[in-house]
Amino acid sequence: MAEPVRSPPSPRLEMRMGHRRLIPFNVAIALPAQLTVLTVVLVPTAIVVWLSFTDWQPTQGIPWYQAEPVWFWNYYDLFHDARFVAAVLRTLLIVAVCVVVEFLLAMSLALLFLDDWPWRKIAISIIILPMMVVPVDAANAFFMLFNDRGPINYLISIIVGRQFEFAWLADPNWALLPIMLAEIWQWTPLMFLLVLTGLMNLPENQIRAAYVLGASRTRIVLRIMLPLLTPVIIIALLVRSVETFKIFDPVYILTRGGPGAATETISMFMYNGAFVYFRIGYIAAAALMILVVVAAICVNLSRPLKRHHR
Amino acid sequence: MLEDNLWVRFLKRTGVGLAIVIAFFPIFWLVSTSFKPIDEWQRFPPVWISSEPTLQNYRIVFAPKAAQEFAAKQKGAISYKVSGSAWKAFGDSAVIAIGATIFSVLFGTLAAYSIVRFHTGGSSYPFQFLVVRMFPPIAIVVPMVVLFSILRLSDSYLGLILAYTAFTLPFSIWMIRSFIEEVPEELEGAALIYGMRPLQAFLKVTFPLIRGGVLATALFVFILNWSEFLFALTLTSGHVVTVTLQVANYVSASSGKLYGVQAAMGTISTLPVILFGYVIQRHLVRGLSFGAIKR
Repeated sequence: MAEPVRSPPSPRLEMRMGHRRLIPFNVAIALPAQLTVLTVVLVPTAIVVWLSFTDWQPTQGIPWYQAEPVWFWNYYDLFHDARFVAAVLRTLLIVAVCVVVEFLLAMSLALLFLDDWPWRKIAISIIILPMMVVPVDAANAFFMLFNDRGPINYLISIIVGRQFEFAWLADPNWALLPIMLAEIWQWTPLMFLLVLTGLMNLPENQIRAAYVLGASRTRIVLRIMLPLLTPVIIIALLVRSVETFKIFDPVYILTRGGPGAATETISMFMYNGAFVYFRIGYIAAAALMILVVVAAICVNLSRPLKRHHR
Repeated sequence: MLEDNLWVRFLKRTGVGLAIVIAFFPIFWLVSTSFKPIDEWQRFPPVWISSEPTLQNYRIVFAPKAAQEFAAKQKGAISYKVSGSAWKAFGDSAVIAIGATIFSVLFGTLAAYSIVRFHTGGSSYPFQFLVVRMFPPIAIVVPMVVLFSILRLSDSYLGLILAYTAFTLPFSIWMIRSFIEEVPEELEGAALIYGMRPLQAFLKVTFPLIRGGVLATALFVFILNWSEFLFALTLTSGHVVTVTLQVANYVSASSGKLYGVQAAMGTISTLPVILFGYVIQRHLVRGLSFGAIKR
């Protein structure tokens, strides 16, 4: 990993900037990006703060700015809404299970690719195929795989030795499984690629030395590779946790949060609330709460990334 | 690096083989199903590869006429809800994804240049762009629907382009930033001595060196834009139809079990992205880790 060049702007650069402008040059060229983000993120956030204190529903026919304020009742209701609490817990469960499984699979897979062998490059290309697929289509494929007469049930039929027909997506206890498998299938390759890149960048001398000195394979992996790999692992876990927390596409395609609300994640709960039941004010309160929590977590979690960039 | 005996090597290859099969199978199933005639969609035991492959499913996806005939013929057995051809979805997705990619990479390059060479906004400034990526989009979407109705942007190309640009900017800025950081500042300094203005120096000296990286970023951002679903679902209402929306339409229509048609739409919608993905395979790691991990 190349050390980024970091020095204060050269005096000559500064001198050229010296002539007076309304907006300094360096601010001006960052402005288009900044303004886009402001329009699409900050303005809506301001609106969401107002909406969260109202019980606005577009179906009532009042414009949003004239909505009746209900102050903190939305928040009170949210905390007493079993469906919302369940969605939050379910999302955390999905994040925990998927990220851990993805990491374990990716780590063990990456260890198989350390040495050079003839078909290595091609094998990597095939293994990372899932992450290139459009997420909606990955869910689409899993929708067909887990169909009651699909190949998954056929495989189970072979294993148990009798006809096995089970509607996975229609069963409240099992519908979450295909969703998590779709997520794991699609994103283990990303984790694999990150870990493998990290492993290939490790200093080979230390590992060779340990090997020559007679250290066992497990010891080399646990004592030398893992510690050296920690920054990469932290970034991989972080990126995947944040992305999995937002999980929406596979849930929408596979179950739409059903049957009932059995597979509703936070994103799905808010989608259903806002676009199916039209309870905008209520969902705005949920949105604001999630935004605040995520922002707080981000501030703390961005540190490893910052350290890595320095 | 380390020597293996034959037995260990066999186990390793088996593990890799298994991973390849699992990685490939769902895609194989998608493609295979897209060529199956209707009576093989639901057969049990499943048909792995159709013995009488047909293009019927693709015809239904692309030609509204074939779709109507199909719906009429299968009346009662299948509820056929999706109207409109995939051409429209491809066109809309192309316009939106390309437009948003151009804006995102253009704005991103300028901002990244400003951040790397002038340290604009201090060391934590780039992180505010990352926060955009970490927010669940659904939380922003609800007020965005309100904002877009004020700005008259709902269900328009421009609206989606704006949303996509904002949400891919973090990737553009962070990726391009990591490319610019690899070019020594002294090169630009030399150009300044010859009397170029800073932006000119950047465009004439640094940019040619990072062109490959910017192109990779553009393809990466294009993939993200093409694959986006949530904004397309919530910020449109029928006038603009992206490819991902069309896929979702077919899947929801398959309460009547239109597996073959749904697979055909899935196959063609994911193909361009897979191609681009392989073109930039070398840069994928950098992109998805926001430039933190380089190869």
